[in-house]
Amino acid sequence: MPSFFKRGKQVKNNPNKKDGINHNLPQPLNISLAVNLDFINQKTGNSSDIVIRTKKIGTHTQLTTAVLYVEGMVNEQSIQDFLIESMMNNSKDLNALGPQEALEKLAEDVVSLGHVTWVQEWDALFLSLMSGNTIILVDGVKKALNVSTKGGEKRAIEEPSSQVTVRGPRDGFTESLSTNTTLIRKRINSPNLWVESMQIGRVTNTKVAMVYVHGIANDKIVNEVRRRLKAIDIDSILESGYIEQLIEDQTSTTFPTLYHTERPDSVAGNLLEGRVAIIVDGTPFVLLAPAIFIQFFQAVEDYYARFDISTALRFLRILIFFISIIAPATFVAATTFHQEMIPTNLVIAIAAQRETVPFPAFVEAAMMEVTFEILREAGIRLPRAVGSAISIVGALVIGQAAVQAGIVTPAMVIIVSITAIANFATPSFAMAISARLIRFAFMVAAALFGFYGVILGLIMLILHLCGLRSFGVPYMTPIAPVIPAELGDTFIRVPWWALWRRPSFISSNRTRKGKNKHPQPPRSRGIVNTDMEQGDRNES
Amino acid sequence: MEKAKISSYQLFVLMFLFELGSALLVPLAMGAKQDAWIAILIGMVGGFFLFFIYLRLYFYYPDIPPTEYAQRIMGKWLGRCIAFFYILYFAYLAARVLRDFGEMLITFAYPETPLFITNTLFMLVVIYGVRKGIEVMARAGELLFVLMYLLAAVGFVLIVASGLIDLNNIKPILEEGIRPVVKTALTQTLFIPFGESVVFAMIFPYLNNPKKLKWTGLCALGLSGFNLAIAMAINISVLGVDLATRSQFPLLSTVQSISIAEFLERLDVFFMLALIINGFFKIGLFFYVTVTATASLFKIKKPSSLAYPLGIVTLLLSNTIASNFSEHLQEGLRQVPFILHLPFQVIIPLLLLIVAFFINRKKSSKQKNDIHR
Repeated sequence: MPSFFKRGKQVKNNPNKKDGINHNLPQPLNISLAVNLDFINQKTGNSSDIVIRTKKIGTHTQLTTAVLYVEGMVNEQSIQDFLIESMMNNSKDLNALGPQEALEKLAEDVVSLGHVTWVQEWDALFLSLMSGNTIILVDGVKKALNVSTKGGEKRAIEEPSSQVTVRGPRDGFTESLSTNTTLIRKRINSPNLWVESMQIGRVTNTKVAMVYVHGIANDKIVNEVRRRLKAIDIDSILESGYIEQLIEDQTSTTFPTLYHTERPDSVAGNLLEGRVAIIVDGTPFVLLAPAIFIQFFQAVEDYYARFDISTALRFLRILIFFISIIAPATFVAATTFHQEMIPTNLVIAIAAQRETVPFPAFVEAAMMEVTFEILREAGIRLPRAVGSAISIVGALVIGQAAVQAGIVTPAMVIIVSITAIANFATPSFAMAISARLIRFAFMVAAALFGFYGVILGLIMLILHLCGLRSFGVPYMTPIAPVIPAELGDTFIRVPWWALWRRPSFISSNRTRKGKNKHPQPPRSRGIVNTDMEQGDRNES
Repeated sequence: MEKAKISSYQLFVLMFLFELGSALLVPLAMGAKQDAWIAILIGMVGGFFLFFIYLRLYFYYPDIPPTEYAQRIMGKWLGRCIAFFYILYFAYLAARVLRDFGEMLITFAYPETPLFITNTLFMLVVIYGVRKGIEVMARAGELLFVLMYLLAAVGFVLIVASGLIDLNNIKPILEEGIRPVVKTALTQTLFIPFGESVVFAMIFPYLNNPKKLKWTGLCALGLSGFNLAIAMAINISVLGVDLATRSQFPLLSTVQSISIAEFLERLDVFFMLALIINGFFKIGLFFYVTVTATASLFKIKKPSSLAYPLGIVTLLLSNTIASNFSEHLQEGLRQVPFILHLPFQVIIPLLLLIVAFFINRKKSSKQKNDIHR
C-alpha cells in the first residue's frame, strides 16, 4: 500500500512531466507578424473559433496589423465599434509613424475601450486571448496590445433553484464570475469588500476569486484559505466542488466542511460574519469557509423572519435531521428487538400486518429505502416531459400496491415516507445527502443489535462530528466546545436587536452593531402620525 | 502526552459523566439500606479529600502526568513500578466497567447475545473515541451532557407524575444509627465512584486554566454526588429497600415501573441507552488513561497506535474477569475496594504527596538559601 501511494506522488511531483501546454518557458514574441500568426495557428491547432483579422493601416507606410479574438468569448459589438472602426477612422493619424509608435498611438488614442495592457510573452498572450480579450499585433513590433473585450453569452440572473425562500431576494448567482462578484458588491457597498483573483488549473486556467470583508474576516483564516488555494495543482477546475475537495480539512467524512450556496444574500450575510467566499468562474455555487455544523440548518430566511418563528423552525430542522437519520433504524430496532417498548395495541396491529410479509423488518426497510433512492435518483435524471411518470410509478411502488402485494407493511411505508420527506426538508442538500448515506449504516446497526447498535452508532457519529474541523474551527462550535456567548444564533436565533456580536470563532472583529438597539417605540399609546390633542383618541 | 488542551468546563463535564458512569447502574451503597443516599453523600465528602490529594500532587508537577512525577518523586525504578501498576489498575477498571455494562445489556435487552459480542461492540466505540483524542471526547461530552441532563429531568418528571414515589420507603432515617452508614461510605462509596477520580490525575495536565481546577473538580464531584444520592433515594422510595437491594440494576427497575397513560411504559430501554452514554465516558476515560500512561511510561510517540492492542487486552480481560455476574458484583463491591482501590486511590497518592512535600520543601529552602547567599 504505502509504496503504491509513493509512486503516485512521485509522478505528481515530477516537474518535467507536466502537460506541457502553458508551461513552456516564457518566450517573447517574434518581430515579424507572419511568424507570430503562424505560431498562434500552430499552437491553437488552427482552431476555427479564433478570429484573425489582418488589415493594413496608414495610407503611406502600410503597416500590417492583426486583430485576434476568440469568437463567442468577446463582446463583438464593442470590438466592431470601438476597435476596428476607430482604427479605420484614425488611419490617417497613423501615417508616417514607425510600427512601434503606431502601436503606442493605437493604445493611447485610438482604442476607445476600457482596459488596455501590453503583452510581450506568449504565455500571457494566450492566457488573455483565451479568456476573451482581444490582441492587436503590429508587424515589426515585439509587443502586443491586449484589449479587454470580455463578453459573450451569459445566463440571465434567475431565482436560485436549490435554495428557495418565501421571503427574501430572488436573484441567484450565475456561471459568470464577474456577475457573481457584482451581486455581492451590490449588497456590501464598502471598500472593505476585498476581492482577490487567481487562476487555478494548469489546462483550464479557471478564474477563482476569494472574497472577504477586510477588518471583519479573521486574517489567519484568510491567509489559510489563500495558502490552500495556492497549493492546488490540478489540470482543471470545472466546478467549485473540485476546490471544495482539494481544500477541506478532513477527507474521510460524509459531512460537508465547506458551505456552498447559490444565494448572494446568503454569501453577503456570511461575509459579514467574517467568512471567506470562494467564487469559481463557471458555476453558480459559491463556497464559504469556514463552515460549522449548525450552519447547515440555518436557512437565509431565518434571518428575515421573526426570531420566534425562526427558532421554532430551527428546532424542527434538527428534529428532521434526526428523523432522517434514525427513523427507519428505530423502527427496525423496536420491531425486531424491543417490542415491549411499543404500546400493546400498536404492537398487535404491527404484528398483524407483519403476518403476511415474508421478510424481516430490516430487509423490508432496506428494500423500501433503496426503492425510494432509486425513485429519487431517477426523478433527477428524467427529462421534464416524463417527470410526471415518476410520481405515478412512485406512488405505486411506495404505497398501497406494495402493501397489497404483501411485500411491505403499511407501517413501514409510513416510516419510509416520513424519512424521505424529512430528508427533503433539510435546508442544505449537502447535509441531507450525507444523512441519507448514514441512515443505511444505522439501519444495519439496528438490525444487528437493536437500540444498542443505534446508540453506539450515535456516539460514534457525535465523536466523528466533534472531531471534524473546518479551517481549524471545530465543526460543532459553538455547541461543543460550548461558547455561551455565541449560542444566540444556533438552535435558537435571538432577535436582531440582541444579536450584537459576530461569532468570535470566525471573525476577528466582534462588534456587529451598537449595544442596546432594542426598538424604542414612543411611550405614548396614541397613534404616532396624527397630531394629537390630549385625550384625543388616546386609549389611556 | 498528546498535544491537547481542554477547558475547565469540559473537565467538569467529563468528571460528571465519569462519576455517574456505572455508579448509577449498580446497587450502590445498599449496605446502608434506606440510608444509601446518606452514605453516598458521606462518600462524596471523602471524595473531596481524595481529590485534594490529587490536586496537590498536580500543583507540585503541573506539566507532567503521574506516570512521570511518580518517577521524580520515588526515584526512577520504584516510580516506574508504581506507574506500571497504575496502568494495570486502570486497564482492570476499564474492563470491570465494560463487564458491568455488558451484563446489564444481556440482562435487560439481549438475553441471547453472548457477552463477548456486546463487549466487543462497546470496546470498538471506545477505541474509536480514544483514537480521536481527549479533545474530541471532551467535546462529545459537552453535547451528551446536555442530552443526559434533559433525559434525567424527563425521567424525574415521569417518575413523579406516575405517583410511584413513596417517601415512607426511605424512612426511618438512620434507623440503626450512623455507624453502618459511615461504614458503607468508607468501604464502598468513597472508592466507587468518588475515589475513581484518580484517573483525572492523568487528565489534569491537559487543562488550559489550572487556576479553576479546584472549583471545577469540587463542583463536578459535588453535583455528581448529589445526583447519585437523589437517584438512589428515588430508587429506594419507588422500589423499597428490599427490592432495591435485590435488584441488579435498581435504576432500570425504577424506570421500568413508570406507566403513564398506558403509553409511556417500559422506558427502561431509553434509560439503558442514556446509561450507555455515561458508561462510554467511564470506560473511555479509564481506557484513554491506560493508553496514555502506557505511552508515557514506555516512551511511545504515538499513543493512538496503542488503542487497538490494549483494547483487545481490555476486552479479553472483561470477559475473563469473573465467571458470572454475581461473582463480578461480589468482587467489585467486597474485594476490589480493599485490595485495589484503597492502595491505588488513597495510600500511594498519599505516600507520593508526603514524599513530594518533603522534596519540594527541601528544594524551595535550598533556593531560598541560594538567594540569601
